[in-house]
Amino acid sequence: MSKTIKENYPVGDFAIWIIIYVELVTFGLLFLGYAFSRRSNIEMFNHSQLMLETTSGFINTLLLVTSSYFVVKAVTTIQNMTDNRREEFNKKASKWLLLAMLFGAGFLVNKIFEFSYIFGEGINLSTNKFFMFYLLLTGFHFMHVLLGSVILFNIFQKTRVYGYTLEDHKGIISGAAYWHMVDFLWIILFPLVYIIR
Amino acid sequence: MTKTLEIVWIILVGLTIFAYLLGHLHYINSFFVAILLVTTFMKVQLVLNYFMELKNVTGKYRWIPSIWLGIVISLIAVAYYLPVSNTH
Repeated sequence: MSKTIKENYPVGDFAIWIIIYVELVTFGLLFLGYAFSRRSNIEMFNHSQLMLETTSGFINTLLLVTSSYFVVKAVTTIQNMTDNRREEFNKKASKWLLLAMLFGAGFLVNKIFEFSYIFGEGINLSTNKFFMFYLLLTGFHFMHVLLGSVILFNIFQKTRVYGYTLEDHKGIISGAAYWHMVDFLWIILFPLVYIIR
Repeated sequence: MTKTLEIVWIILVGLTIFAYLLGHLHYINSFFVAILLVTTFMKVQLVLNYFMELKNVTGKYRWIPSIWLGIVISLIAVAYYLPVSNTH
């Protein structure tokens, strides 16, 4: 984080950035699909949106943003390590990652409650266009959080065995980049689906 | 540098609370939608620059996500503000 010299490539494995670019296109199309479909029946979209629990979306945004912050703290811990204190820095990073995973799990639990409420109301993909997009967007994002949690757990496991060194820590940076992507996609999704009307 | 991350996190949380209050109190109108879109752009840009460290990257790899973000937010604004024809 403390580098001032500009790099030619983003940090981490370049393959993760290719995945991120593909995800951006996919989610971008879904966001725009929602925004332009809304124009065909604004009243129905606004009415359906009132059934969503804004507080739940808000709590989930705070959970993901904070989890992302914990992940970046873990990454900077590893980046600032000194060779003779590898164990100490890995251990410190693992604590940040544990917090990040807990907040990620909080997101998933909260989302499950939200989905069970929505399904309990008899709403499904064919209820109307708003709920089709809501379930597609949030369900697809939910799967990304799930995958991101698995990635975080793997990184966490590696820090537990002091696996990252000053020379070799691309893995944690790549996993972190994926998690931050999951975070900023939700940052767009929250106002778009829950608030803007 | 450590403080920068904390400041970024505080801004992200602050803007999220602002967005929530607008939605929760039903203060949403055309003006606030514009504010929400601008603050959303700022939030994502902060994550890209400081959490994903893209501010340390030069050239196209820094700008690809920002251009994507600009296009998506702008088109959402177009979808919101463009008058709807009542012919159907």
